[in-house]
Amino acid sequence: MVIRALLKPNTYYDSITLMSVAQAAKDLSGVEDIGAVMATEVNLELLLNANLMPAAFLAEQQAPPGSEDLLIVVRAIDDAHAEAALAVAEERLTSRGDRGTPSRGETLPARSLEMALKRDEAANLAVISVAGEHAWLEAEQALRYGMHVFLFSDNVPVEQEKRLKALAISKGLLLMGPDCGTAIINGIGLGFSNVVSRGSIGIVGASGTGMQQIICLIAAAGMGISQAIGTGGRDLSEAIGGVMMRRGLELLANDEQTEVIVLVSKPPAERVAREILAATQIMKPVVVVFLGVDPERFASVSGNTHMARTLTEGAELAVSLAGGDRRRVPGKDALNRYDLPKEHTKLASSQRFIRALYSGGTLCDEAMLLLNEQLGPIASNIPLRPEWALAPGETFRGHTALDLGSDEFTRGRPHPMIDPTISLQYLASAADDPQTAVILLDIVLGFCAQQNPASVYSPAIVQAREKARFAGRSLPVIISLCGTEGDPQRLSIQRTALEAAGAMVYESNEIAARAATLLVSDALHQA
Amino acid sequence: MAVSLIAIDYSRPIQPIFLHEPRVGTVHSVFNKVTNITFDETLLSLLSDELPRMPNSVRLRSVVADKLLPNLKPGMEVCVGSYTLVIPTCNFSFHLSRTPLWEPRPDVNSYQWNRETVAQHTRLLTQFLAKKQHQGGLAPLVGPLFLEQPLQETPLSRMAMPNLRLLAQASWRQNIEGIEEATRGLAGLGPGLTPSGDDVLGGFAAIMALLSTQLSADSISRKHIASKIAAVAKPRTTKLSGILLEFASLGEVSEQFGMLLLTLMLPAEEFGTVLRAADRVLAFGASSGSDTLLGMVLGLRALESEID
Repeated sequence: MVIRALLKPNTYYDSITLMSVAQAAKDLSGVEDIGAVMATEVNLELLLNANLMPAAFLAEQQAPPGSEDLLIVVRAIDDAHAEAALAVAEERLTSRGDRGTPSRGETLPARSLEMALKRDEAANLAVISVAGEHAWLEAEQALRYGMHVFLFSDNVPVEQEKRLKALAISKGLLLMGPDCGTAIINGIGLGFSNVVSRGSIGIVGASGTGMQQIICLIAAAGMGISQAIGTGGRDLSEAIGGVMMRRGLELLANDEQTEVIVLVSKPPAERVAREILAATQIMKPVVVVFLGVDPERFASVSGNTHMARTLTEGAELAVSLAGGDRRRVPGKDALNRYDLPKEHTKLASSQRFIRALYSGGTLCDEAMLLLNEQLGPIASNIPLRPEWALAPGETFRGHTALDLGSDEFTRGRPHPMIDPTISLQYLASAADDPQTAVILLDIVLGFCAQQNPASVYSPAIVQAREKARFAGRSLPVIISLCGTEGDPQRLSIQRTALEAAGAMVYESNEIAARAATLLVSDALHQA
Repeated sequence: MAVSLIAIDYSRPIQPIFLHEPRVGTVHSVFNKVTNITFDETLLSLLSDELPRMPNSVRLRSVVADKLLPNLKPGMEVCVGSYTLVIPTCNFSFHLSRTPLWEPRPDVNSYQWNRETVAQHTRLLTQFLAKKQHQGGLAPLVGPLFLEQPLQETPLSRMAMPNLRLLAQASWRQNIEGIEEATRGLAGLGPGLTPSGDDVLGGFAAIMALLSTQLSADSISRKHIASKIAAVAKPRTTKLSGILLEFASLGEVSEQFGMLLLTLMLPAEEFGTVLRAADRVLAFGASSGSDTLLGMVLGLRALESEID
């Protein structure tokens, strides 16, 4: 290890420049650390504490350096690497003709809302994705600037959400979130969003992947989206009262391009559901998908509103009402795409349970509702009933559906839609379990999602099926693939690669869940 | 061809330089939107009007600054006096006889200050600063100092942390020896032309100079603490930093920092305005804004009660 230094008397650069120069030199191989500071007394002490004191170099100087002198010090594995790093640092400094601030044309990222607004005063929507419980501060600031807000962050206290939404309403603005996964505003996708053409169907959703599923199925039928407004998952709770869904509904009701409106949510609070349904009695056709809610329960207030039980049914209704062909939605007809009876016959007697591994919370909810109808209790980390909750440390119990995107799985790591590592781990565990009859998993495409999921899932599926085969089992893998042909990952490419790995791929989550149900149900066996 | 222009505004504390008979100074440093010019013991800054006013600034229209600054080099001669500034090498001059003065000392005495309200704003600013991502500097220490967050151990944080605590404790107790010791440990500490430690001291000194009487629990002025900080720090840091600390010790601060100080007298429910003003302070420099804000929070907390 050697320490080498460079002294530049009466030389001044600002911190941004010095940090970027230091980082460039530090990134070189063989460089352990670098310091670039004005040679004040305490900075020399700082260098000493950082094991960067160039004692020999300073001893050679005719006069000790002072506070007006820039001192650059490198610690490297040997002389050659140290000298190379100093050369890079000096070259970087001298090449910056403007002496210390970014060169003209170079744009630093805006570090505040205000800075961003200065760059584009016409901006009227802020996307906020900051960690922690203080995201509301940023949201409030943006609302007070008169901007709509897409609040991707979660962990916003419910009382803050209520207050922020009241503020947004008072200013005629949208607060999409908190924990809002997706939106499409004027053709621009926000968060996890899919590429779809613009069209006549508008959506307001308190469910990220629920909205994505409907959007993708509508796109598959050749139809487009006017606007997709997220509200955050708690909007239809008793505490929030559905204020943003009502606001979104009002906007779409007055939007010339929107001809059909779809509302989607996980189970809403009873009072809120009734209020929302009352608000849907407008001139435009409205389709409502409240997952887990029996439409009959709200028959007295639903009036002209079209109630759908599943996301696929909601998409089919919307396509039909917008003048499209609902048969083009890849729904029930797709069930016959694969030879399910044949797959069923290959299962060993021990293989009795579905293991569903989801990254999308709403997709998981929908699958559980459908599985439960046919198969009874479904164990889960987000159970339909408290008594079906998995115990701590328990991975699978009977039919099991896991939401791997929920907090307990994503703390300190990326969401599985971005990084599927956790999904792959559970895929391997499920494959090892002789009781597993079928693995059902979702893959969501679009912006922000994993760039090429088939490239990681396909080998994992091949390996899992191969391992099961050696153990004398067949292992069907069913994939609920949510995406469009326009997505960066391209739906057809992903489908082809996953099918080549032996998976059965459905674009409808409902149909994927029904296929999995059929594989383990006696009905199919008898058929 | 000579270019002769009128500046947009200039700061009141540097007016004497222009009233004086013409004297020769030199260009000290040149940046994209700023150049610093040194005269004897002081230093003035020519700024583009895209930047906020500083206590030692003369502001030029951005079109003028954009043309002038690329032609300047450190060491160039500058002649200042009789309401004129001339840079002979560039054939450039401007006049200040009709240029408005800007007052960098916020008019804190015109307002009623409520300690409880300021304390609420201070806590909000502490949280605000703690959740921001910082490009180096000392601002990340706000969490360990006030929110019981763990200290990220680095050579810089290890050196700064005890001195930040000492600075606050010694100010509360009016322990001048402690103030001197803490200042010696912070002055000139960290990267940049105004090292992080100086920016913290500047924010702290400005609070002591401007608001100590109104906000300290014992209602005793601590202006002398601000003067002591500047006096101890000046010989230990860069020239620019030392001069800005002198201004801060007199309560003369940058435009955005002064505006933030004044928002502290707003009612608690106006916290959005306080945070917007804080955002403007943060936008200054790589870490200077956040370090100054840390100094301000430290100063305000030191006036409330003794820090553990």
